[in-house]
Amino acid sequence: MSTAAVILIRIALLAAFLGAWEFLPRTGIVNPMLLPPLSLVIETLGDILGRGDFREAMLVTTAEVLVAFIIAVPLGGAIGVLAAEHAYFGAIFRPMLFYVFSIPKSIFLPMFILAFGIGFEQKVAYATFSTIFIVIMSASAAVESVKADYVLVAQSYGATRAQILRRIYIPSMMPILLETLRISMIFNFTGVMIAEMYASRTGVGHMIANWGENFMLPQLFAGVVVLAVAAMSFNELVRYMEARCSTWRS
Amino acid sequence: MQHMAQLSLGQEQSQGAAVEVRGLGHIYAGRDGAVPALTDIDLNVPAGRFVVIVGPSGCGKTSLLMMLAGLRTQTSGTILVDGRSIATPDPSRVGVVFQEASLYPWLTAVENVEFPLVLKNAPRDERRARAEAMLNLVGLSGFGGRYPHELSGGMKQRVSIARGLVQDPPVLLMDEPFAALDEQTRMTMGHELLRIWSQTSKTVVFITHSLTEAVYLADEVIVMSARPGRILDRVPIDLPRPRTYQMMATDVFGALRERIWHQIRDVP
Ligand SMILES: Nc1ncnc2c1ncn2[C@@H]1O[C@H](COP(=O)(O)OP(=O)(O)O)[C@@H](O)[C@H]1O
Ligand SMILES: [Mg+2]
Repeated sequence: MSTAAVILIRIALLAAFLGAWEFLPRTGIVNPMLLPPLSLVIETLGDILGRGDFREAMLVTTAEVLVAFIIAVPLGGAIGVLAAEHAYFGAIFRPMLFYVFSIPKSIFLPMFILAFGIGFEQKVAYATFSTIFIVIMSASAAVESVKADYVLVAQSYGATRAQILRRIYIPSMMPILLETLRISMIFNFTGVMIAEMYASRTGVGHMIANWGENFMLPQLFAGVVVLAVAAMSFNELVRYMEARCSTWRS
Repeated sequence: MQHMAQLSLGQEQSQGAAVEVRGLGHIYAGRDGAVPALTDIDLNVPAGRFVVIVGPSGCGKTSLLMMLAGLRTQTSGTILVDGRSIATPDPSRVGVVFQEASLYPWLTAVENVEFPLVLKNAPRDERRARAEAMLNLVGLSGFGGRYPHELSGGMKQRVSIARGLVQDPPVLLMDEPFAALDEQTRMTMGHELLRIWSQTSKTVVFITHSLTEAVYLADEVIVMSARPGRILDRVPIDLPRPRTYQMMATDVFGALRERIWHQIRDVP
């Protein structure tokens, strides 16, 4: 199938989805109390974006997400590289990391509240915790994806350690590293949302939870739209970077 | 005759042996104790010669080549390359061509060729010009902008040879470079390698499994035993140069091939 056809079909599906969202509640086929029509959600979206408390909540949530990301990615990356490169460290910690990775992180949320309260620090700490394991695993996988042959060739041409890192490791790990960024952001965002919805005084997650509890569905859906757009924008940004540096991938 | 001229030229540049190995032995510290990989290796490769090493799989050919390249240190014995010992890799003396898949997939053909010069921080224009000249030498002018996955197996090995020659080292080491190619491409590449060799007057140490390839390419074939690798025989190949495909059908060629085959086959 041609690219044009695929794009056309995608647009048609999106239009059908949005049309159904408007049409089904309007005609009463779906209860408008459960699914407010699209036009109402958009109107409400305009309202809440103009509200000071919602803007402040967005700022708080964004800050939490960014700080957790800035901590979890380099820290997890460093531990992951160490686990892959350093035989002893790897042998000791990898099984442990693997088992902790398989536990749902949300069961630890009460402990984070006990340790950090319900403010900014707790959101950041919990989001970092829920993200760091996937970063560690991915970074290890990225290091292991570097073929020994690539390093050997560079060594045979007299490459120094720094040159091997810069000219071999970084470019050959780049595809996995970018994928890691993307997945980390998903985990990180999810972590912040869960923490905010569970116990918080501010943040978009907190507001959405409140709207849900009070059956304020147009607001709830407007909040969901905001979060969805934020998540998709980040995803597209990483995909754009991926496309730029992976021309060589067959 | 043309080859003889090249040979004497090469010998004038560096007196005597380009590669000299004396009493070399190597033992790997394996999981279940020491694994002797090589014993009593003596090798003398005069400058400008094309020497081929054959031997059963696991007899230590790759290990020997790594030591000649300074990538691994032998347990005992000495190695002189261009008159000096080689403890660490020295691309100004030795170029290495590995088996397939040794090109960097994120670099284009010309970037792969200039990679050793990038490591030396050579000026951009200079290294690009040098890399283009090497691509030209291996018959790939116009293909510099392609990525490895856009090249055939034979073309990839041409790029790899160009990369091995880009710093103009007197010695070129090749570890089964054509083993992954189909028979036809392999023959063509062997022929091309001889052309490149006669144009550059390098000293070549070439490892292969193929006896036909060995006899076709070599001035001398070194036959190695199964592990621990020893040198069983040194077979001078006095077929005239330039070599032609027709020579493979001759009795002399057959007899040389037979002599090597006997040595390898007799190994238990
Ligand atoms: N790094 C290593 N550690 C232990 N044993 C090795 C190592 N590299 C090679 N060997 C062993 O040494 C022998 C020779 O290997 P190699 O030089 O690769 O042989 P060849 O290239 O002739 O097939 C083999 O038995 C191999 O298993
Ligand atoms: Mg080998």
